[in-house]
Amino acid sequence: MKKLAQEFLKGIIRENPTFVLVLGLCPTLAVSVSVINGIGMGIAATFVLLGSNIIIALIKNYIPQRIRIPCYIVVIATFVTIAEMTMKAFSPALDRALGIYVPLIVVNCVVLGRAEAYASKNSVANSFFDGLGMGIGFTLALILISALREFLGAGTLLWHPLIKGFEPAFVLGMPSGALLVIGLLLGFFNLLKKRKA
Amino acid sequence: MNLAQFLTIFISAVFIYNVILSRFLGLCSFVAISKETKPALAMSMAVMFVTTMSSMITWFIYRFLLIPFDLTYLRTISFILVIATFVQFVEMVIRKISPPLYRSFGIYLPLITVNCAVLGVAVLNVDMFFVSSKAVAGSFYYSAFQGICVGLGYTLAMLLMSGIRERLDFCDVPKALKDFPLSFIIASIMSLAFMGFNGFRF
Amino acid sequence: MNKLIVSVSPHLHNKESISKIMWMVILSLIPAGAAGIYIFGIDALWVIILAVVSALATEALIQGFTKKKITIFNGSALLTGLLLGFNLPPKVPFWLPIVGSCFAIAIGKMIFGGLGQNIFNPALVGRVFLLASWPKYMTTFIQPMAAWGGYDAITYATPLALLKEGKLTEKIPYLDLFLGNRGGCIGEVCIVALLAGAIFLFIRGYLSWHIPITYILTTGIFTYVFGPKGLFTGDWLFHILSGGLILGAFFMATDYVTTPLTRKGQIIFGFGCGVLTAVIRLWGGYPEGVSYAILMMNAATPIIDRYTKTRIYGTR
Repeated sequence: MKKLAQEFLKGIIRENPTFVLVLGLCPTLAVSVSVINGIGMGIAATFVLLGSNIIIALIKNYIPQRIRIPCYIVVIATFVTIAEMTMKAFSPALDRALGIYVPLIVVNCVVLGRAEAYASKNSVANSFFDGLGMGIGFTLALILISALREFLGAGTLLWHPLIKGFEPAFVLGMPSGALLVIGLLLGFFNLLKKRKA
Repeated sequence: MNLAQFLTIFISAVFIYNVILSRFLGLCSFVAISKETKPALAMSMAVMFVTTMSSMITWFIYRFLLIPFDLTYLRTISFILVIATFVQFVEMVIRKISPPLYRSFGIYLPLITVNCAVLGVAVLNVDMFFVSSKAVAGSFYYSAFQGICVGLGYTLAMLLMSGIRERLDFCDVPKALKDFPLSFIIASIMSLAFMGFNGFRF
Repeated sequence: MNKLIVSVSPHLHNKESISKIMWMVILSLIPAGAAGIYIFGIDALWVIILAVVSALATEALIQGFTKKKITIFNGSALLTGLLLGFNLPPKVPFWLPIVGSCFAIAIGKMIFGGLGQNIFNPALVGRVFLLASWPKYMTTFIQPMAAWGGYDAITYATPLALLKEGKLTEKIPYLDLFLGNRGGCIGEVCIVALLAGAIFLFIRGYLSWHIPITYILTTGIFTYVFGPKGLFTGDWLFHILSGGLILGAFFMATDYVTTPLTRKGQIIFGFGCGVLTAVIRLWGGYPEGVSYAILMMNAATPIIDRYTKTRIYGTR
C-alpha cells in the first residue's frame, strides 16, 4: 500500500512531469493562458494517461519489442479520440479554446514517456497510480502557470477580474510570455533543488 | 489557387506563427538538440523532410479515405500512424544509405514521430484547407507547401538558437538558469522579436 | 590545470576601458535627450530619470543579491536606462519606465551573465516587452512644442503611424522631421541632435561607419524601390528621418556586445536590419520596425559570426 502511495506522490513533486522531467511542454505553454483552459487540458491528459497506462500494463507481454512504439501510439490515440469526442460533445467552448492541442495529446511526451518508461515494465496497479500521480502533477503545473499568466497577463482569475485599476501585462498571454514564465519557473525550481541539496 | 496565398503561408509559417516560437510545437527536440549547430541543422533537415512528406500523405488519406467513408473522427489515429510508419521508413533508408549519419542522429530520429510539429502541421492543414469536409481549391499544394514552410520555420529557429547557445557556453550564466531555463527565456525574447511580423499584409 | 582564459567578444585590446566608452556614448546622447525634453516638456525628463534610476537600482540589487561585484558605475546600466528612456513616449505612467528598466537589466542583461555576455540589446528587450504588454501606453504620443505654445499637449500621431493608417494627407516638411517638430519617442525625434552625437563618436573613434551607414542606406533604398505608387516612387528621405531609424542605427545597432565582430559580418548585420525595418514599415502591422529588426539581427549575430570568422593564419 505504501508503495502505491509512493508511486502516486512522486508524480506530483519529486518527478513532476513539467518542472522536473521537462516533458509535455508544447500543450502546457499553449494552453496555460487561463486557469480554466489549464484545468480542462489537465483533466483530458490525465484521462488519456490513466487509460493508456492501464491498457499498456495489461497487454505489455503481448507487444512485440520492435513495434512497441507504434502500438503504444495506437492505444494512446484511441483514448485521445475518446477524449476529443467527449469534449466536443459536452464542452464545445473548451474544445475550441484548446484547439489542435487536444489531438496533440497523442504526441505528448508525458503520455508516451510514461508508457515507455513505466507502464511497459510495471504492474497494472502501479501503472494506474503512476498515471494518476503524473496526471495530477501535470494538472497542478498547468494550474500554477495558468494562474500566473492569467492574473498578470489579463488581470483575471478563472475568468473573473480581480484588482481594480491593475494594468495587466498583455505579453504574458502571448507565446513570448509563456516561454518567459516557464523559463523563470524552471530556474526557480532549480534554485530550490540546489538549496535543498 | 493564387500566389498571394502561397506568400501568406510562407510568411505565416516561417515568421509570424513560427512553429516553435509561436505555436510551441517541437519544443522538446528544440531545447534538447539546439545545443550545437551541426546536429541542429541535421535534425532540422530531417524534420523538414518528414513534415513535407507527411503533409502530402495525410492529405491524400483525409481526402480519399476519411471524408468519403465519413471517418473524419479517425483523423488523429490515422495521421499519427502514417507519421510513425513514415519515420520508421526514413530510419530504415538512412540506416541503409549512410550508417554514420544514422548513428549521429541516435535516438532523435525515432523521436521525430512524437515531434508535435509533424502531427501539428498535418492537423493544421486539415483545419485550414478543408471547409466543411470539402477540399478548398488547390488545398493539396497549399498543404504540401505549408509542410515545407513549417520545416523552414523550424530550421530557422533551430539555427538561431544553436548559434546563441554555442556562444553562451563561454558565458557566466547563473547556475540555476543554465540550459533549460535560459533556453526558454531566449526563446521568449526571440518570440518577442518575431512579433514584429504581426499583421503582415501584402 | 589549464590557465587558458576563454571569454566571449568583445576582446578589446586597447587602453580604452569599457567604462570610458560607455561614458563617451552617454555624453554623445545628451544633445538628443536635451532636445527631447525641450520639445516634449518636463514629463520627458521624468521618464528618463525613472528609467535610468531603475536600471541602476536593478543592476545593483541583482549584483548585491548574487554576491557579485557591483559595477553600476561603469556606465553600462546607465546607458541602458538612458536608451530605454529615449525609446519611450513622453507621457507614460510613472511605473512604465520602472518596469521596463527592471526587465531590460534583469532579463536583457543579467541572466546572460552580465556585461559583455548578453545576446540582445537590453534597452530594446525592455522596449519590446513594454510594447507587447501595454500597447496603449506605448503608442500614445503627444504634440511637440506644446508647452512653449502655452497649451496642454494633446495626443498626436507619429509620422509613421499616420503613414501606416493612410492618413498622411499632407507632406510633413523635412525640416520638421529633422529638427524634431513631430510626435514620437523622447530621444528619437531630434535628428540633428542625434547626428551631432554620432559625429562626435566617429571623430573620437568610438563608432565605425559600417553598421549605421549600411543600415540606413539599405532602408532608404528599399523604401525608395517599393514605393506606394509603384516601383521607384518611395519617399526615402521621409523614411530615413522618421521613426527611430537614426537613433537605432547609430546608437543601438552599434552596441559592441550584440553585433558581429568582423567587418563583413557587420555589413551583413546592417543590411539585414535595413531590410527587416523596411519590410515591417511597408507591409507589417506595426508602423515602426527598428526595434524588432535589430533584435532579430541580434539573434542572428552568433550565426553570422560563425560563418564570417576571419581565417586563422596558415589554414584554408
